[in-house]
Amino acid sequence: MKQTLVYGQQSCRLKLEGFPDVSAGHSADALGIITSWTLDWAGRPQLEGRLDHLVALINGVLPYARYLMSGVARPFGAPSEPVGIAPAGVGQHLLVLRSGQPGVGPLEVQLDDAELADLVRVLDSLRLDPRLHLQSPLSQPLVQPLRRWELRQAEPLAQRLAAPLGGLAALALTAGLSSLIPLPAPAPYRASSTAPTTAPETSAGPSPAPAAIPAALDPGNSGSLTPKAATLPNPAKPTTQPAISPARPSGPPARP
Amino acid sequence: MSQALSQSTPSRPLSRRGMERLDLMLLCTEALDFNGGEAMVWMSQQLGYGELFPNRVELWKRRCHNPLRRACRRGSLDSRETDALIRILCTMADRLYPMLRGLLSTAEPPEVMEERWQLFQSRLSDLLRERMNPRRSSVQTLLDPVSGHLQRLALVQALALGAGSGGFERLRACLMDVVA
Repeated sequence: MKQTLVYGQQSCRLKLEGFPDVSAGHSADALGIITSWTLDWAGRPQLEGRLDHLVALINGVLPYARYLMSGVARPFGAPSEPVGIAPAGVGQHLLVLRSGQPGVGPLEVQLDDAELADLVRVLDSLRLDPRLHLQSPLSQPLVQPLRRWELRQAEPLAQRLAAPLGGLAALALTAGLSSLIPLPAPAPYRASSTAPTTAPETSAGPSPAPAAIPAALDPGNSGSLTPKAATLPNPAKPTTQPAISPARPSGPPARP
Repeated sequence: MSQALSQSTPSRPLSRRGMERLDLMLLCTEALDFNGGEAMVWMSQQLGYGELFPNRVELWKRRCHNPLRRACRRGSLDSRETDALIRILCTMADRLYPMLRGLLSTAEPPEVMEERWQLFQSRLSDLLRERMNPRRSSVQTLLDPVSGHLQRLALVQALALGAGSGGFERLRACLMDVVA
């Protein structure tokens, strides 16, 4: 006894034909074995196929509708699968049906939002029909909330890239401005800790022998003209002035 | 099967964004149906939610958890109440499906479509001005005739795709999306 189930909406009508699986204990009005199905569109060619094509149609269209409700219009159905659906502009969708027969090209059906909603309602009616008892159950629709990265796909590319590009621009601007600030002068060279503490602190710049200069410039210290040889280790250098004489007694000779 | 599906879905309260969207979609059904408020109460009785929403005021109090409302209530609804509101919304959308379809169809002449959208937009704007906080940017966008068109289209599209008993799971999952 052949059974026929029909699910219709304004723009499309799905008809399933098959038999109840008596061995599984199905009632006479149930449908356990699908032999064929046809999908009639208003003003479009009729579609028909096997059960796996129907499953592919459900697996493509219902997740597509689920994502569309969240504002994410993304294609479903790989090129190797018999059914694919993708967005085709605002309010338009492209349903692609690929035939398994060689030499037959894919059939493309352009749907608007109303026709897509009709198809979704038809497939929902089929999925929830208690008379349908299939041996291979139809896949369940996506009932999980979308993740954050999936929802990001709905945003335009410029909006998605605005934050990271703005951060990079701010970093580059800050680095450029920082490079314009002059570096501080290097700190003066500090002599070793053996330098006399009486050395003037006002001397600027490095001094090769800061300890010798104050002593040589001390006017009150006549005896300070100490032999240069002590500090200048080049005795061969001629000098116009007499070299520093050794200690010449200025006073009367000492008497024994 | 529907009961089994609903058990497999995570049951948790809606986020603020989800509550906003749910209330806006209920508002869209009121814009499509003049007696939408009364129809919701009647529908809740028919669906067996008379204990949750015994009268119109209780239903209004639950909907006031929408942060966009003028008189917004703090706190969040539990999952039983949000599921009931979503179920009422799906049934309302199923009842109003011919009108939703008429708004989405491109088979009609453009003049007819323009007139339908104008009527829907004017009714929705009246309801938005009456009940929502006009200082919120999303309310201002929805009130804008040009920039709010895509948002109104998205609400109507979601209502059409979530209509009926099969749309309940889709609509609930959509309202529970993680806020981007």
